[in-house]
Amino acid sequence: MPAYIAGRNVNLTFRPPNRAPVRALTGFDIDVEEGEFLSIVGPSGCGKSTFLNVLLGLLKPDSGELTLRGRRISGPGSDRAMVFQEFGLLPWRTVESNVELGLELKRVAPETRRAASRRFIEMVGLTGFEAHYPHELSGGMKQRVGLARALATDPEVLLMDEPFAALDAQTRDLMQVELLRIWQEARKTVLFVTHQIDEAIYLSDRVMVMTRRPGHAKRMFVIDLPRPRDYEMRVTPEFNALKLEIWNALKDEITV
Amino acid sequence: MADDGQPRRSFVESHRTLVVGCGSVALFFAAWQALFLIVPFNPLFISKPSLIAEGLWALIAGGDLAHDLAVSAVPFAYGFAAAVAAGVPIGIIMGWRARVGYALDPLLTVFYASPLVALAPLVIVFFGVGVAGKAIIIFLLAVFPFIFNAHAGVRTVDPLLINVVRSLGGSEKDLYLKVIVPSVLPYIVAGARIAVGRALIGVLVGEFFAASEGIGYAIARFGDLFALDKMFACILVIMAIAVALTEGVRWAERAAFPWRIGQ
Repeated sequence: MPAYIAGRNVNLTFRPPNRAPVRALTGFDIDVEEGEFLSIVGPSGCGKSTFLNVLLGLLKPDSGELTLRGRRISGPGSDRAMVFQEFGLLPWRTVESNVELGLELKRVAPETRRAASRRFIEMVGLTGFEAHYPHELSGGMKQRVGLARALATDPEVLLMDEPFAALDAQTRDLMQVELLRIWQEARKTVLFVTHQIDEAIYLSDRVMVMTRRPGHAKRMFVIDLPRPRDYEMRVTPEFNALKLEIWNALKDEITV
Repeated sequence: MADDGQPRRSFVESHRTLVVGCGSVALFFAAWQALFLIVPFNPLFISKPSLIAEGLWALIAGGDLAHDLAVSAVPFAYGFAAAVAAGVPIGIIMGWRARVGYALDPLLTVFYASPLVALAPLVIVFFGVGVAGKAIIIFLLAVFPFIFNAHAGVRTVDPLLINVVRSLGGSEKDLYLKVIVPSVLPYIVAGARIAVGRALIGVLVGEFFAASEGIGYAIARFGDLFALDKMFACILVIMAIAVALTEGVRWAERAAFPWRIGQ
């Protein structure tokens, strides 16, 4: 019986025209349990985002096996949705219309779409901003829209590719709290890619450290801190001990 | 006197660009009129604003101007509509399908760069002196800004948005409808501004070569008759139409793309 999400020996090499090929993932293995919050940290360019894009179905691995509920992933599917680092909102659509995009592409009836967008706009705290355009929103609000858009399609798995990297530090802290609240409410499996060890520990059940490129799993850390978690937890000795351990696993992989 | 502490802005101050712009146009006509106080006036070679105004009024009152404009508007409408209908899809497909772009770009660049007006007699021979021939001349001149602007617009499409739509299960058709066309639309409208001017050239050229009515024919005929006041009146009307259409497109651009205000 394979794990909920199981990756076995996933390999992917980019072959850009007129340049040397780049091996992004080699022998990448991963097991994810249903409903868990798993973060992936690793040095820049180690293939974290590449893996998320493979899981999303936008990139095809050269070899290896990647399954969800035992079914091979061969392309995008409504059981997965991504929250992108640079938000990826359509600038000519209002908040409401952006949130409805996924349902619109699945040819869901307008009334059903409207109801879903209203619900998730409320969940991410953007009620009252339905008719705003993305350029009228702050970075944090834009990412709330990105999150609502992903949730509106009711995926089983939420993929988050450094979703808070473009936000300032305070907004980021608030968004982490919000994300935990929403995760507890919506009950999704979350794969969360980040550079920040703090963020990974605070949010996750487990944290995976990747090697430098070509990337694969180096070590898995279980975060056995109790939930619900609050901001004070970040200054406890347990938290800092984990942080140090993960840093020690990560620092050998980082080349400046 | 009501005083809210703010210095009152007069009409002139708040509409500075408009006032200065109209002022320079008025000055131009005044100088033109005044010139003939010094220079001897020969109505066979030149006209002056007072006579042009009289000529314009005669054309309006007699209904000739309205008739000629209505006649010219028909091939303009057909040619321009065809230019949009053909140019936009060609440009978008050239931009999105790289091989189509490589194949068509050199050919179209040659046509765009060359004076297509030279083909006008040939087009008239092929398609006749009626609406079709003129519409095709207008189409040939107006289509290229649509093709090239749509092509350029596709290159600005954000690949992230393509990935967003793909990841949410969007088909190739969805990519066109939800991402590519909306991204390209402002470029198409910018192309329309250029195309309007070129299409009006097409109207005049077509009617210079072969016509018995229309605004371009009127200009040519009044010129042949040395009725320079009426000729200039028609030229000014064409200019006014060009400005109105171009500004109309500019206005539509602002009204239609509220999201671009922040970019």
